[in-house]
Amino acid sequence: MRDCHGIGVIRRNSTVMGIVEAKDLVFEYVKRDEEGNAEGFVRALDGVNISIKKGSIIAILGGNGSGKSTFAKHINAILYPGEGSVFVDGKDTRKPENLWDIRQEAGMVFQNPDNQIIGNVVEEDVGFGPENMGIPTGEIWERVNESLKAVGMYAYRKHSPNKLSGGQKQRVAIAGVMAMHPKCIIMDEPTAMLDPKGRKEVIRQMRALNDVERITVILITHYMEEAIYADKIFVMDEGRVAMQGTPREIFSDVEALKKLRLDVPQCTYLAHVLSKEGFTLPKGILTREEFIQEMVKHTGGRFYSGSLEGVSEPKKPSHYTDPGRSKRDPRESLILDHVNYFYEKGTSGEIKALNDISLQIGKGEFIGLIGHTGSGKSTLVQHLNGLLMPGSGHVYFKGQDISDKKFNKKDLRSSVGLVFQYPEHQLFEETVFKDVCFGPKNTGKSQKDAELAAFEALRAVGLPEEYYYSSPFELSGGQKRRAAIAGVLAMKPEILILDEPTAGLDPRGRDEILDLIKDLHEKQGITIVLVSHSMEDVANYVGRILVMDKGRIIMDGDTRHVFMRYKELEEMGLSAPTVTYLMHDLRDRGFDIDPYVTTIDEAKREIMRILSPGI
Amino acid sequence: MLRDITLGQYYDTRSVIHELDPRTKITGTFVFIISLFIFRSAAAVILATLFLVSAVLLSKVPFSYMLRGMKSIFFILILTVVLNMFLTPGITVFSFWIFKITDEGLKIAAFTAIRLIYLIIGSSLMTLTTTPNNLTDGLESLMSPLKIFKVPVHEVAMMMSIALRFIPILMEETDKIMKAQEARGADFDSGNVIERAKALVPILVPLFVSAFRRANDLALAMEARCYRGGEGRTKMKPLVYKKRDLAAYAVLFFYLALVIASGILLSRYGLA
Repeated sequence: MRDCHGIGVIRRNSTVMGIVEAKDLVFEYVKRDEEGNAEGFVRALDGVNISIKKGSIIAILGGNGSGKSTFAKHINAILYPGEGSVFVDGKDTRKPENLWDIRQEAGMVFQNPDNQIIGNVVEEDVGFGPENMGIPTGEIWERVNESLKAVGMYAYRKHSPNKLSGGQKQRVAIAGVMAMHPKCIIMDEPTAMLDPKGRKEVIRQMRALNDVERITVILITHYMEEAIYADKIFVMDEGRVAMQGTPREIFSDVEALKKLRLDVPQCTYLAHVLSKEGFTLPKGILTREEFIQEMVKHTGGRFYSGSLEGVSEPKKPSHYTDPGRSKRDPRESLILDHVNYFYEKGTSGEIKALNDISLQIGKGEFIGLIGHTGSGKSTLVQHLNGLLMPGSGHVYFKGQDISDKKFNKKDLRSSVGLVFQYPEHQLFEETVFKDVCFGPKNTGKSQKDAELAAFEALRAVGLPEEYYYSSPFELSGGQKRRAAIAGVLAMKPEILILDEPTAGLDPRGRDEILDLIKDLHEKQGITIVLVSHSMEDVANYVGRILVMDKGRIIMDGDTRHVFMRYKELEEMGLSAPTVTYLMHDLRDRGFDIDPYVTTIDEAKREIMRILSPGI
Repeated sequence: MLRDITLGQYYDTRSVIHELDPRTKITGTFVFIISLFIFRSAAAVILATLFLVSAVLLSKVPFSYMLRGMKSIFFILILTVVLNMFLTPGITVFSFWIFKITDEGLKIAAFTAIRLIYLIIGSSLMTLTTTPNNLTDGLESLMSPLKIFKVPVHEVAMMMSIALRFIPILMEETDKIMKAQEARGADFDSGNVIERAKALVPILVPLFVSAFRRANDLALAMEARCYRGGEGRTKMKPLVYKKRDLAAYAVLFFYLALVIASGILLSRYGLA
């Protein structure tokens, strides 16, 4: 039983059966009340039938709580079927004698990069699996070096995992699984906690794994763009397989996916909205290239010249202008004046986290802050409400210097609300309502006033009233996030800063939170600073973008101006929205189109414009 | 507070001492500390000084690093010296009001101070020249005979190594939670003791929840990678004694022999 390598295991029916076969799989969690008595069952999986072909890439999509992670844990024999069965490479997961073979053959990469690395040194972590399998020392080293080279992390083999970026940590985790020589690798939202650069690294690695090593990949994700590489997609909903098919088939049905809390890739969606306007492109367009080809085909080459000849020069706003500058009243603004900030000042490890930042945030603005991990966004944001004080330079709020001894910092904290990343991790009270009262009470409000503020905030975030008095830990992910945002909102901030408020949510959850923020801006007049990794979200919602790199603000302007400089953004590890690239591509193919479009809506109008010149 | 934990203080100079097997270093430190406390002659102190100084020199670690550990015991050091000086009976050499200092007191105080300082330097030398992982491995290997008495040696070592990995992560997390609650107007710096203790609840609850979540995730990740305890596990970096370890053990044995010999000789001729 110790022999986990799977050598000499007879593969029965492996040509007929898929590598993973789930038949009528049912799994129930026992739901317990506060005393730990069983209250009932929650059916997490309800008759799942999935067959996965060896050597393929499979994507499993589904909203939060649809059962996809529960299913993933069945493939690795971490959970066992309540009813029905799961066979991995012909072995029944319920049979104890198969346990270690299955865990070796079906490796698993989890969501949180920190919580799955066991070793204190990269190479030791990769060796953890082989050590457990009882592989001789010499061979462990061979496997470790081989796997680290395969994921491009060999140079980091002696490093501490704590010093790596998220994407690098996930690659180490992948190497750790590969060192066990699996036949199949299950990745449970491996990119959910990464920035776009890390996400790309991991997806590239995943594809290489499948391509070069012929390992079957099962990818669970919330990012539709990642699923287009799959050979087959399974869409899960309420513990069942709601849809299955090739990416093209699945993404053809935009409405159905939206109902399942999901989304489609940007190009697919643009084609879909164009079809609604009567300009019918085939369904299930996945990539930019496909979109362009269909456009060319559809217009019968009418616009296609293959060159830029005859295409008028786009009206390129020649110089950067900050549209709101004159409107901002300094007495109503938050102003940073030549702010510098150092970490570990005076030591050899001194890092200049903020480098001469000057910035004015006016009343009523909706600002997007973008930059890769480590560009200084978090440090900047913490200066805005006095959590960090400038090393040099000044921060003024409504004309007052916040470093001034007479300045009341508590007032600043309530005037400038800061919602951290994964804010639900800071909930601590017995009930949601009490937790939301925490902020206003700290600012010295009476119990009654605090409760009133809490009610108002909870209503504003749209949390159903039945949850007000339940424990914050019982809520679903999206609801927890709402409750946490309410906790900051209850302090009645004039400026609300949100650090990646949509991280880890499914597409519907993401849209709901963004719409909520938009509402707060429009209806309550709250100034918003949105820190985000998603260029699409930024393009859709904000009016002004700040781009940070290496502790500096590199760009500051409206969406169109910033994304116009997409080449510079790429050098910083950022990008423009997909539609911007698509429009550039179309233009390069001879379509006389404005390439500086940033949203699907604008793109639709622009394409309609050139297609129906009469209107 | 957590930041002062000395375990992560590894100072890499790739010296001979660094290259020694962790078991050799643990045994050596242990023997050295025992020798400090059993033998109380001037000759033993001289020998210990020689032993320690040569080890420190061989390690190439700057001496100031050794002294860093001293800060934490500074108060205890002063206290023991003062108590020993004033409270030991003997011939008075200096008196002031009700206090008197005896010759015996001075001698004992000096010996105690030296012992404590050597103890700290000796153990700092071990942690400065051994990575935490090696230390855990060494302890696991040295304690493995205890398995006969059902002591879960492997599990304890695994726990230590996981703790080492997660201490920095949890520290960062604490910092983040504190900031998040501060952003909601929490105040950790003012108020009386009770108020301050109360102010910790909004930090501790999320911190524990997070620690449990991480523990749960980690357990899953370990199981998924075929972890099933120490039974049948092989080692990627097994501990192997090398020639220099033999030499080190010889030196250690020689030192111990000298200390014992000096003790016996001195007491036989009544010189102690």
